[in-house]
Amino acid sequence: MSLRFTKLALGAALGSLFSGALLASDLVVTFDDLNPDKKAAFEAAIDAFKAANPDINVVANNGDREAHKNTIRNALQNDAPDVITWYPGNRMGPFVDAGLFLDISDLWASDENLSSKFNAIKPTMSRDGKQWGVPYSYYQWGVYYRKDIYDKLSLSEPKNWEELLGNCDTLKEAGVTPFTIGTQYLWTAAGVFDYLNLRTNGYEVHNDLTAGKIKYTDDRIRATFAKWEEMLDRCSFVSTHATMDWQAAISPFAKGDAAMYVMGNFSVGQYKDAGLTDDQIDFFQFPEITAGVPRAEEAPADAFFIPAKAKNVENAKKFLAFIATPQIQGDWNKAIGQLPPNSDAEINADDKFIVEGMATLSTAAGLAQFYDRDAPAAMAKAGMEGFQKFMLDPSTLDEVLEGLDKVQAEVY
Amino acid sequence: MTSNVAGSNNRFDTSVNQMAIAGVVLALCVYVLMFVINTTMVQEMFGYSRQISARVPTFFMRMGVLLVAIAAGFFMITGHSYYKRNKLAVAPWLFLAIGLAFFMVYVIIPIFQSISFSFTKWNGLYDINGDWTGEWVGLHNYRILWDDPNFWTSLKNNLIWLVLFMLAVPIGLFIALFLNQTVMGIRIYKSLFFFPFVISQVVVGLIFAWAYNPEFGLLSEIWGWFFCDFKENIMGNLSRVCSVDPPSILGDANTATYGIIAAGLWPQIAYCMILYLTGLNNVSPDQIEAAQLDGAKGWKMLRHVVLPQLKPATFIAIVVTVIGALRSFDMIATMTQGGPYGSTNVLAYYMYDQAVGEGVGRYGYGSAIATVLFFIMLVYISYFLYRMYQDEKEGG
Repeated sequence: MSLRFTKLALGAALGSLFSGALLASDLVVTFDDLNPDKKAAFEAAIDAFKAANPDINVVANNGDREAHKNTIRNALQNDAPDVITWYPGNRMGPFVDAGLFLDISDLWASDENLSSKFNAIKPTMSRDGKQWGVPYSYYQWGVYYRKDIYDKLSLSEPKNWEELLGNCDTLKEAGVTPFTIGTQYLWTAAGVFDYLNLRTNGYEVHNDLTAGKIKYTDDRIRATFAKWEEMLDRCSFVSTHATMDWQAAISPFAKGDAAMYVMGNFSVGQYKDAGLTDDQIDFFQFPEITAGVPRAEEAPADAFFIPAKAKNVENAKKFLAFIATPQIQGDWNKAIGQLPPNSDAEINADDKFIVEGMATLSTAAGLAQFYDRDAPAAMAKAGMEGFQKFMLDPSTLDEVLEGLDKVQAEVY
Repeated sequence: MTSNVAGSNNRFDTSVNQMAIAGVVLALCVYVLMFVINTTMVQEMFGYSRQISARVPTFFMRMGVLLVAIAAGFFMITGHSYYKRNKLAVAPWLFLAIGLAFFMVYVIIPIFQSISFSFTKWNGLYDINGDWTGEWVGLHNYRILWDDPNFWTSLKNNLIWLVLFMLAVPIGLFIALFLNQTVMGIRIYKSLFFFPFVISQVVVGLIFAWAYNPEFGLLSEIWGWFFCDFKENIMGNLSRVCSVDPPSILGDANTATYGIIAAGLWPQIAYCMILYLTGLNNVSPDQIEAAQLDGAKGWKMLRHVVLPQLKPATFIAIVVTVIGALRSFDMIATMTQGGPYGSTNVLAYYMYDQAVGEGVGRYGYGSAIATVLFFIMLVYISYFLYRMYQDEKEGG
């Protein structure tokens, strides 16, 4: 009797397995952001895709962003979903090189959106001359500042380095620390370094450095650090930055003890949560340092990729093409307060930061991903520790740069 | 069949019939195992392993089959006449078998695997065909390690941890002696002192990190009474202005490690205290009385009468404190993540950081660090085992 029962159960299980596979095709999507607005925007896009493709049985997974950085390794090598989120630039390098992402150059060539409306971001999505993913969002970096403090001291947005240093002098005289930052998790310091480097040396040097073609002891990089030392000296950052994360660093900014913050646009919501209004905060592009260097910007993108082990590649490509449409790109980024990589997509015209960000990025000479995405992770970790050490004690510069050269020789 | 069962009171005795069934089950299990494990299991055992967690269902299935096979094997062996003749010699190994198997798979084999990884350069990935993507580099990782200032910082911090963490033993003893009296409500005081040990290390780390925080922490608050004033800033908000900046304990490379150790000592002292309190319960009152009659008191009483009787407690306290110092990982992870700029790393955290942390993916290098840590631990563990062995011999 028990044997008969087992047979029955087995039959039922197998039956359900096959019938499920036969009736509709599947699509498994793995996403990595549980923040309420990001999660809702993702789910809205999934719902729209389901409505447009009723024959596809969509399974959407969502998990914590930091955990995803580790779990993706398992996911790509073993039980791969059909679509997965990851970062473009050098961060996708190891997976591309190991053959774990699917080459989707054909989709980029044939799809009407990808072939013509993603030109600015296409180099970022490319490696070895092929395209590997589709970006759904990106955002600008720059200097967020307290407009009310600036007005009170009759300061204006600095257009070049001297003006910025001049503003800092005035702020310090008034008892305001010019810049806030929280370097506990290191990457915020990389934002400052990237901008100083992009403005001192330009986009090519940024790329060559993060690609390991220029040494850290190179004179051009030393020039960047010289500007940084000048900034530490005349502008200065809040003194306790090494024990604060980026959210904690908003507190002196919100209280009016600090006036500027080199940050990404995702931070705007947090300023408002801290009680600041649109009238009190504003945005300017990081000012020019070396005259004539074409203005490149930081614009980290988030993207979807197809694992090489995906089981439903056709559906996955359908999904990526769907994500690239102006409608979805517009809706998604309106919901999360970021910018759509598709140049035809609508943006939220009521949000002054988004409007300014769009203007900043669409006229930029080049888009950098960010130090810790352009450089390999092992290099980025050592580099950012070096930046923090330099910020805490500028006299350690030589030691820091020589140490980074050693890591560079090892990593690449 | 009849005489065998009827005449015996051994519950492991089985009939020929049962043996045949067990044999069939065993054969089936072996067959299924072969089918399920094929190459991956072999890879895992002898080659470079893929992470196991992604295949949890197959893993459980495999373990289930393995258990059934072990049980079937058990019945077969206990039914065998060889077993009946050598019961005393074989039985302990049968009981040990399962534990030994797990110990091999989860401890012994991984040790040799990570040692072998340490001679390679590998980012932790297998390509689409499941082929390992690393390359053999010989002693390269160890040469890099020798030149790596972060490695020496970590090693130095490990030593600082070991030395300073030992303070928990005398302080724990002192508190235990202090609390070892009979007054009203002493149990409440004892449990209050023991309380920090009950809290998770992560929570202890967070509490201390907040207390140290130079912006809003308890320490900076106290500092503020002496050195700081509240002044209205440019926007009319009250903000604190200090004549001397409050110390940023976790933000300063020179003090951060000591700050974390102080946090770690809090629960560790409580642990040593409870060990000594139980030890003090066993101190013989006769000997105390005899010593009192001989005129011993104070330090002499403690040194020559009480402490010798606390020797077992001291031994355990030292052992758990050494282990605690080497387990400092959680504290570092919650309080500084090795920062500022790697100055609070210990070997265990640096290894994690280089291999799996933030996708850095230097698995070969991480394994080299792990190997060094392993050999350092080996010295301690060997000594510990030697002591145990000596004690056993004396006791036996």
